[in-house]
Amino acid sequence: MKTSDHESPYELAGQYVLGTLPEAERRAVIERLKTDQELAELVAYWEERLVPLCDVVDPMPLPDSVWARISNSAQAEALAAAHDKQPQLPLLKTWWHNLPLWRGLTAAGFATALLLGVALSGQPQQPSYLVVLATPEGHSPGWVVQASNHQTLTLKALGTYEVPQGKSLEFWTKADDWSAPVSLGLVKPGQTLSINVDKLPPLEQNQLFEITLEDEAGSPIGKPTGPIEYIGRAIPI
Amino acid sequence: MSITTDAFDYEACLHACANQSKEALRELYLEESGRLMGVVFNIVKDRATAEDLIHDVFLRIWQKAHTFDASRGNSRSWIYSIARHLALDFIRFSKRQVTQSEVIEDIPDARDGDWCERINSTHWGSTSNNRVQDCIMELEPERRSCIYHAYVNGYSQSEISDLLGAPLGSVKSWIKRSLLSLRECLG
Repeated sequence: MKTSDHESPYELAGQYVLGTLPEAERRAVIERLKTDQELAELVAYWEERLVPLCDVVDPMPLPDSVWARISNSAQAEALAAAHDKQPQLPLLKTWWHNLPLWRGLTAAGFATALLLGVALSGQPQQPSYLVVLATPEGHSPGWVVQASNHQTLTLKALGTYEVPQGKSLEFWTKADDWSAPVSLGLVKPGQTLSINVDKLPPLEQNQLFEITLEDEAGSPIGKPTGPIEYIGRAIPI
Repeated sequence: MSITTDAFDYEACLHACANQSKEALRELYLEESGRLMGVVFNIVKDRATAEDLIHDVFLRIWQKAHTFDASRGNSRSWIYSIARHLALDFIRFSKRQVTQSEVIEDIPDARDGDWCERINSTHWGSTSNNRVQDCIMELEPERRSCIYHAYVNGYSQSEISDLLGAPLGSVKSWIKRSLLSLRECLG
């Protein structure tokens, strides 16, 4: 990174805390902070000393919906953490299962119909796994995932979905023994996507797929934070 | 300044959050969310974005509370640092350019030190920052103004340059010198 503008690490840390570093330099500092203890201490120095400046700002009210979202996300995190600690009990307490995923039989019925449809269509290259992503209530299927080999997944939209402004849909997957879901990227309603998954372990039976509503640029923390819009599990066919 | 703030045990609260106490997170939210919202909104200048970021702030606290190390800093400033950096990351890394022209007209000049009177170092649970108000008052007016607009409003150096009608080079040098003076004064 370019350091010539910041003669001393004190100054670099100070500019980071003030917020005056341009994007590239700010990103470079964030990267360095992962390993550079000395810089981290200097950042802590400025954070501690400048924080009373926050008193200058008037508080602002928040709608109750903000706490409701925090509460849901924290609950999901706690359940995921509990699951991580007990990988030998995969199906009991994961947050995936605490959601009312498979209450409705509609989606399951649809899956069976689709499965039969695929099986009867006599395509030369049949997919080896199929996932129907339905709304968490299980009432309406929204997307189908097909995997005919270990390299590629195909995601097809079945219906339409209106994404709120400033938001995006993000596609995730998690096998039972993974500690956290992995993002497969942002998806757009109505879009058919081929996703390269050769860096992931081979798809397995019961592997979970879901689509959550996230910030426009995707989840800021690399894990689902927003509400689950569609969810489903892989069925071998 | 605030009796409730003095009474709130931030460190114990973070400890409880690390032990997965949702009640502790809720108490922290009741205690601090309004002030954090003010801080975040002032930087991102959009209510919906600020609300989304407050969600992210509390989720981050929930996820990271176990990493808080009291020997390296104060618990309350740790919380505010999470909020400020999430807001700063948003405005610096967001592809969407926020138009701030209408906002700029409303903001105070800040060359005078009136805003400094609202700084109250006594309720931040640390003795290392009890001189910050004096040290900022000792800065020359332009430099003081740069610190205000950067730290409180999240403005970039070029935005501060536009705002003060001063060359970018001068703003950069004022900020550098302010940091040097502050470091000397704060110790």
